Amino acid sequence: MLIKNIQLKNFRNLQIPTQLDWSSNVNILVGNNAQGKSNLLEAIYFLSTGKSFRTGNDAELIHWNKSRAYLKATLYNKHHQFQLESNLFKQSHKEFLLNQNKVSKIQEATKYFTTVLFAPEDLSLVKGGPAERRKFLNNEISQVSVRYADQLKKYRKILAHRNNNLKNNIFGSQQEVWNEQLIKTGSYIIKRRLETVEKLKPLSRLLSRKITAGRENLEIQYLSTVGTLDKSCSIQDIEVMFAEALQRTRNEEKLKRITLVGPHRDDLLIKVNGLNIRSFGSQGQQRTASLALKLAEIEFIKSETGEYPVLLLDDVFSELDNSRKKYLVNTVMDKIQTFITSTELSGINGELTDNAKVFRVESGNITKL
Amino acid sequence: MLYYAQSISRLISELGKLPGVGPKTAQRLAFHLLNTSDEEALALADAIKEAKEKITYCSICSNLTDEDPCFICTDTKRDEGVICVVEDPKDIVAIEKTGEYRGKYHVLHGIISPINGIGPEQLKIKELLARVKEKPVQEVIVAISSSVEGEATGMYLAKLLRPLGIKVTRIAHGLPVGGDLEYADEVTLTRAFEGRTELT
Repeated sequence: MLIKNIQLKNFRNLQIPTQLDWSSNVNILVGNNAQGKSNLLEAIYFLSTGKSFRTGNDAELIHWNKSRAYLKATLYNKHHQFQLESNLFKQSHKEFLLNQNKVSKIQEATKYFTTVLFAPEDLSLVKGGPAERRKFLNNEISQVSVRYADQLKKYRKILAHRNNNLKNNIFGSQQEVWNEQLIKTGSYIIKRRLETVEKLKPLSRLLSRKITAGRENLEIQYLSTVGTLDKSCSIQDIEVMFAEALQRTRNEEKLKRITLVGPHRDDLLIKVNGLNIRSFGSQGQQRTASLALKLAEIEFIKSETGEYPVLLLDDVFSELDNSRKKYLVNTVMDKIQTFITSTELSGINGELTDNAKVFRVESGNITKL
Repeated sequence: MLYYAQSISRLISELGKLPGVGPKTAQRLAFHLLNTSDEEALALADAIKEAKEKITYCSICSNLTDEDPCFICTDTKRDEGVICVVEDPKDIVAIEKTGEYRGKYHVLHGIISPINGIGPEQLKIKELLARVKEKPVQEVIVAISSSVEGEATGMYLAKLLRPLGIKVTRIAHGLPVGGDLEYADEVTLTRAFEGRTELT
């Protein structure tokens, strides 16, 4: 995946009216705080997912005193050159165009463009709550499967209806119709996550061993609230377990008035050398594991789509020590088109800056150095 | 609003309550009505009054009608043994346009949606149950959208009707006729695959 050109108009404070000479390798964006460095990463992320990673309110993406923003990118994948455009209107309405044709569903345009974002918050992937790890899995699988994204949306809706019934003490056949759908959609989601974790397992173990010179053995496992699963479980097996789990928690959920089992309550267990590092790991181990998982995500997308995604590194170099920085550099160099933001060049590995194109970001304008 | 005579602002605010009509459109409509002849304006008022007075729910199928039972329920050429359940009266029009369906209908006036506080008791489900108990039918066809709420409504009906020995079916969803495969979105296409039929 390659970004050949990107143009922006009124996207937050950014204006990129003309073609900039982006590198197909590493691009470094330097500038003081609040100049618009991360806004560029946000724009790229927006074109590849249809949403921002910083806000759920699209109106915030438009320059504060303008009514409309425009984004356009010319992209290459291994077979084609294509163009993505997006118009954002202040009344929270947005549209996407693929090769100048408006698409009816945003995913129809964004599915061709994959990115992986790595921000300082991702370093707490291991330390944070289960919701962050679910989000990690959801984002990752949604990038490679439109069906998964659709089923996830459906699941959330079913869950909301079901919880509403619980709140209003509605049971019996009125609740059963939601149970059936919850089980069906939820089991699909669990199955896809299980498959993905199976693929991430060897990738992240290998990456972790490489980063730590073989000292740390990373092991991940999908922990489901519906029961103990292994890779041989079919969707039908999961459906049976899900139904049993709902049955088992029936009395408790009547009391708590909320659905207690299902993919919305699941977690990803991360162990190093046999210990759960969420509780027992050092900060360094947690960071290494987060980095290994993020890099495994890149390899996963490569194996699913046949090519590397565009990598967005939002100010992460300041958060990593030298050996991890070096490893990250070696991974991305000459292989993955990368956009890096940093307040100063000195914070970035020298080997990387020598091979990169550097851009200065100043009050919303980007110039090549 | 305060700049208008009171009866004009009342007209504007009444028109503004209509779906899809904002304050500006309401204002334009009000002035249009004031500028038309008395006859025309009163004809509209009459039409509204007449419809409101005469239109009721059909006591059999709950469709909107001005004679009870409605013209579909009294049509003796239609098959009494099949009932097609729809969400609202507009859906009957769509199905009637096909000219292929010769059974009867039942209008639910909504679908089950707990988030919006709509349960089975707010819909015309009791009426359907009473109807099939009184005059047995062989099949009930659920012709409701495939949203999660639509699915839930369909399943709920199946749970009620199957024990009575009634076959409950759902209309298929998938590719539009004449649609190009390449332009179908993945979700529709996946559904179409799931509902594939054997060629004979």
